Amino acid sequence: MADDPDRRGFLKAATTVLGGGLGIVIAAPALRMCVAPTNAQTVTTPTDPIDIGALERLKVGAPWQRVDVIAPVVKDAWTTAHDVPLGGAWVRRTADQKLQALSSVCPHLGCAVGFDGQTFLCPCHNSKWTDAGVLVPNTGPAQRDLDPLPIQIVDGRLRLTWVRYKLDTSAREPA
Amino acid sequence: MKERVTEWMAERVRALSEQTRLGVPGGPSLAYVFGWVIVMFLGVEAITGAALSAFYAPSTASAWASVAYVQDQVPLGWLVRGLHYHGTSALVIVTGVHLVQTAIWGAYKKPRELVWWLGLVLLVLVLGFAVSGYVLRWDQAGYWANHVEIGIAASAPLGATVKGFALGGNEYGNLTLTRFYALHVVALPGIALVMVGAHLWSSRMHGSTPRWGRDGLAPTKRWPRQTLRDVVAMAIAFAILLGYVISQHGADLASPADPAAAYDARPLWYFRWLFELRHLAGSYERIAAMIAPVIVGGFLVGLPLVDRGPDRSPMKRIPWVAAVVGLFALIGVLTFMSFSQDQGDVALAKRDEAAELLASRARALAVKNGVPISGAQDVFKTVPMYTARSIFEQKCKGCHDARSKDRKGPIIGAGHGNRAWFEAFLRAPSSDPFWGHTKIGPTDDAMKPVELTPAELTDLTEVLYAQSGAGDADATKVARGKALFDKACTDCHSLDEGVSGGGGPGLGELGSRDWYTSFISNPKKAIHMGKLGEMPRFDGDLTITERDALAGYLVWLRTASQADLDKLGPL
Repeated sequence: MADDPDRRGFLKAATTVLGGGLGIVIAAPALRMCVAPTNAQTVTTPTDPIDIGALERLKVGAPWQRVDVIAPVVKDAWTTAHDVPLGGAWVRRTADQKLQALSSVCPHLGCAVGFDGQTFLCPCHNSKWTDAGVLVPNTGPAQRDLDPLPIQIVDGRLRLTWVRYKLDTSAREPA
Repeated sequence: MKERVTEWMAERVRALSEQTRLGVPGGPSLAYVFGWVIVMFLGVEAITGAALSAFYAPSTASAWASVAYVQDQVPLGWLVRGLHYHGTSALVIVTGVHLVQTAIWGAYKKPRELVWWLGLVLLVLVLGFAVSGYVLRWDQAGYWANHVEIGIAASAPLGATVKGFALGGNEYGNLTLTRFYALHVVALPGIALVMVGAHLWSSRMHGSTPRWGRDGLAPTKRWPRQTLRDVVAMAIAFAILLGYVISQHGADLASPADPAAAYDARPLWYFRWLFELRHLAGSYERIAAMIAPVIVGGFLVGLPLVDRGPDRSPMKRIPWVAAVVGLFALIGVLTFMSFSQDQGDVALAKRDEAAELLASRARALAVKNGVPISGAQDVFKTVPMYTARSIFEQKCKGCHDARSKDRKGPIIGAGHGNRAWFEAFLRAPSSDPFWGHTKIGPTDDAMKPVELTPAELTDLTEVLYAQSGAGDADATKVARGKALFDKACTDCHSLDEGVSGGGGPGLGELGSRDWYTSFISNPKKAIHMGKLGEMPRFDGDLTITERDALAGYLVWLRTASQADLDKLGPL
């Protein structure tokens, strides 16, 4: 009876299915938990404009000036932190009173872009941009101009909206 | 193709398949399943542990926060954490059953002594996992339980060194967590892997032990009939664990570890017998806590050495079987006593209830506001206006809260300083909610009720209300009110900023944040209550930041309703 091949075959199949099923049931919650953060917004940074100082700090017609963009509150998974640096921006007021801001994040791979008085230069792969933030062709791997950031004046204070864009693309899309 | 694959596999797993062929003596039996159920639970611990380690942050500031995040915010995090935590209980239970069965069957007898000893090492490892894992959550329960455990270890010879090594220095801190974490996820699993391997290998070498009196029966193949029984047992055992974990919604988590707050620390349930033994031992508790495990351990280790002879029938080994069963029965009784003692303790139940309330508040705040990077304890400070409200609670409530038994001043609550409040005050300054409980209230020094028509009273209210800078003041009413004020009030009061009246307080900017700060700093200043003032000054007691925060809270109260106040939640 016990050695009936049909029965043995059934027992083998039942054991394999049950054992495999048990393994899946045990592993599934752990896997679900581990992939959960993949597409979740685990770090929350402010989407509304951030105060970056008084308007007076920008002289009309002066060269680009670097400012730190500091978020008042950042929620990062389980913590809430205050006054967290998000990144830098280059800002200026042109001779015709236009307010401009460029993200200092290189559109190639995200290094911090510097300004030497005439041109913007990325220290990582030597991409260059003109004084207007326009990409200088054949200088480096960056595929687009520096990313402008929305900036406005509220009650004499500069307010900048921090946006991260997708890296290493020629089109500019929010990340 | 299929043959070649099978052959390739067969060559490489020959050793294993030969083992499988060794088989089970006397045919498949449910009696042989316990070892594999233990292996399954160890697998559950390994898998859930790996997942949890991807979320856990071992530092005093972040440990609790990351565990609370897993428990309350990560999808299925509660389930994984619950399986990991309660899985240890399951391991202890099944290991205990496995051990008792082995002892009753005499399966530790020659030549299987090594298998027995390796099994005991595994039991100790499971307990080591439990101790090192419980502190990692860094909540009140784990933190204080660890104090007790380390305290016992510290009272043993060389205890101070052991304690310093375990804690990573002189005190509980970041190194305590990183060290217990390393122990829990690297050292112990490494040792356990070797020990499980050795235990399995040695037990397979000797084959399963049949029931007494059935020695010499021809072994039958393990696969698939015994394997099916193993797998069914695993599935049932896991289903029970899963059901329990779901019913408990994972594992509990107390409020963040707080070195300053007392907590009724209780060891994990499988250590409760030792806990009870310490109670019973009274002043000999330290000795009991150290000696008892040594005796129990020594007895179990020595069992194969003293219970010799080939006969495995329990009937022929009554003293030994009785000793093992008696030992576990004693452990069971002590465990029961410990729990029933707590059950009857009304005061303890009350403290536990308070602790649970605190825990649920901490966790709700962690979900809502996140945990400050300064530490998990500060999660309580993320409630709105925490600084001001806690100061109010400590410094102001006694004299100003409506429910206070010995109130000495006006009631301060929702709507304090709004239009209705001013109007009621003007009608009856010395009534109960206002100066009724003050020293000047009943005297001639107190302000007399204002006698005006209702319309005039509204206008006068408006000019006083407008002092705070409230944006919704009606300019027309203010102008009319100002005329009334100049006629009726200027004998004692002034509305000019920084000017005191003639005997009464100056009312310029009354109810603004700056005015409150100034008043709280020194109510006896001439511009405020002067000599009539009864309230003490707080510029020495509270920093300017604290006074300003308190002033902000009082300004907020003006527009707040009781519902708004309730919505702030408890401190």
